[in-house]
Amino acid sequence: MTVKWIGKRMMLGVLVLFIVSFLSFFIMHASPGSSATAYYGGNAQTLTAAEKERISKAFALDRPLPVQYGAWLKQAVQGNLGMSAGVGRPVASILGERLPNTLLLFGVSMFFIIIGSIWLGMTAGMRPGSLLDRGLSAFSIASSSIPAFWLGILFIYLFAVTLGVLPSSGTGSLGGDGGFVDKMKHLIMPASVVVLTHVGLYARFLQESVKAELGSYYVMAARANGVMEREIRRGVLRNAFIPYLNYLGVTIPSFFGGSVIVESLFAWSGLGQLLVRSVMVKDYPLLMGGIMLTGLIVVISLFVIDVLMYMLDPKLRKGELGG
Amino acid sequence: MLEAIGLSVKINGIPVVKDSSFFIPEGKITAVIGESGSGKSMTVAALLRMLPVDAQAYGEICFMGTDLLKATDEEMAVLRKRKFFTIFQDALNSFNPSVKMDRQLYAFSAGRVGDDQDSFQKKMKAILGKLNLSSEILNQYPFELSGGMLQRCMIACALYVKPALLIADEPTSALDKVVQKEFLKWLRLLNESGTTVLIITHDLDVVADAADEMIVMRKGEIVETGAVADILARPTHEYTKRLLDSRF
Repeated sequence: MTVKWIGKRMMLGVLVLFIVSFLSFFIMHASPGSSATAYYGGNAQTLTAAEKERISKAFALDRPLPVQYGAWLKQAVQGNLGMSAGVGRPVASILGERLPNTLLLFGVSMFFIIIGSIWLGMTAGMRPGSLLDRGLSAFSIASSSIPAFWLGILFIYLFAVTLGVLPSSGTGSLGGDGGFVDKMKHLIMPASVVVLTHVGLYARFLQESVKAELGSYYVMAARANGVMEREIRRGVLRNAFIPYLNYLGVTIPSFFGGSVIVESLFAWSGLGQLLVRSVMVKDYPLLMGGIMLTGLIVVISLFVIDVLMYMLDPKLRKGELGG
Repeated sequence: MLEAIGLSVKINGIPVVKDSSFFIPEGKITAVIGESGSGKSMTVAALLRMLPVDAQAYGEICFMGTDLLKATDEEMAVLRKRKFFTIFQDALNSFNPSVKMDRQLYAFSAGRVGDDQDSFQKKMKAILGKLNLSSEILNQYPFELSGGMLQRCMIACALYVKPALLIADEPTSALDKVVQKEFLKWLRLLNESGTTVLIITHDLDVVADAADEMIVMRKGEIVETGAVADILARPTHEYTKRLLDSRF
């Protein structure tokens, strides 16, 4: 792996984050209502026009939007995401409190999605026409069609209300009475919902990819020449993983976006829930910080996938695909 | 060496090879010639028991005392590994694009006969040298090599394993005339070392250049068989005469 290649990917990541910040800033300010609302602290009705003007001036909200964006960007590149309009604390500190929970939910869900989809997709793909092969197709349709909020409500009703074995909402605390077990109990339902609503689609993609590879000319040539099946399968899986990883990379942003719904449904104290709340109260500094942090996680995930693709695909390494 | 008796192949009930009987003599180069759709490749697929899922073969194909159509999957796997070697038309796609050539050539040659890496490296490098290929190709990927080089790599593997029967399905159609001549030269060399060769082609020049015996197929039927020299001098079937006329 060359320094040039890594540098190119990192520059691309920075560019993506810049575009995300630009679009987010201007789109959120284009939405109806004043961006100063969150600074009024629920006193919008009682404040006089002069007081409102003073607040706007104090937080530089009266300046033109490009100037505001420039000021925000200048601070952001120095690691200062400003103060939350609603909470009155540094954005970075609020995000820092929420980030571990989001990373835990995202990491655990992604881990089980990847392990589950690789196992299901490989096993089913390697046995065309088998019960697992046909069953996975049906499971994939069901898995991707069930809305996360519906499955979440069903889980809450079943495991929290009826059986009472899992907490219906909340995040749990490692430092609390329940400790690690309590944290895991709170994690089971939201993570299961994320996994079950995604694993089928990824598994189906890998299954089709494996089947397509098994039908390749090189597999026919190898089989006709008595090449060991273990050797053939190793090559098939390697090639099938390349489009699978690509698909994983393309869908990570929407996967991350989808977990926002799950966080809100289970009152999981993560970035998703924070972002939804900051939209409601028009806390733009917090919203911008949250979007940028989410964007950074997606960019890092994509970078890891790019590295894996680079390692697996010799055409990419040899520059045949313009990498 | 190999005899087909009343071989028929049907795809979804439609006959593509009809009641064909032929003999491949040991130690010779036999060519099966015919236009596209004449059933040549389906005949090879039946020999290798690698027909498409919706195809069915009937009759008998006797190879060294075994009826290939009745052999178990395990028996066929052993035959493909120990006795046959098959070269296909599309050399570029005959290799896995993501695996280096040394690993693939090992699987196609030394892996079949149980040689270790050291003897593979020594023996394969010597063979590649004979075929005017640098041993550096072992460290390259298939997409870095030309079609002609990859077809020579296949021949190198065949020279390594020295199979009882080499089946070459349209091996020269993707090659230019110069490389084609070279390829046929190596095919003859392999034949001289004791391998029986069955070559499938639609090119009469290839037959005239390399083969001892020929089988002419048309619309799934064998219309003429015999020594190449005899058929080229005195064709009896109208289709063979037309083939010969179209050559000049």
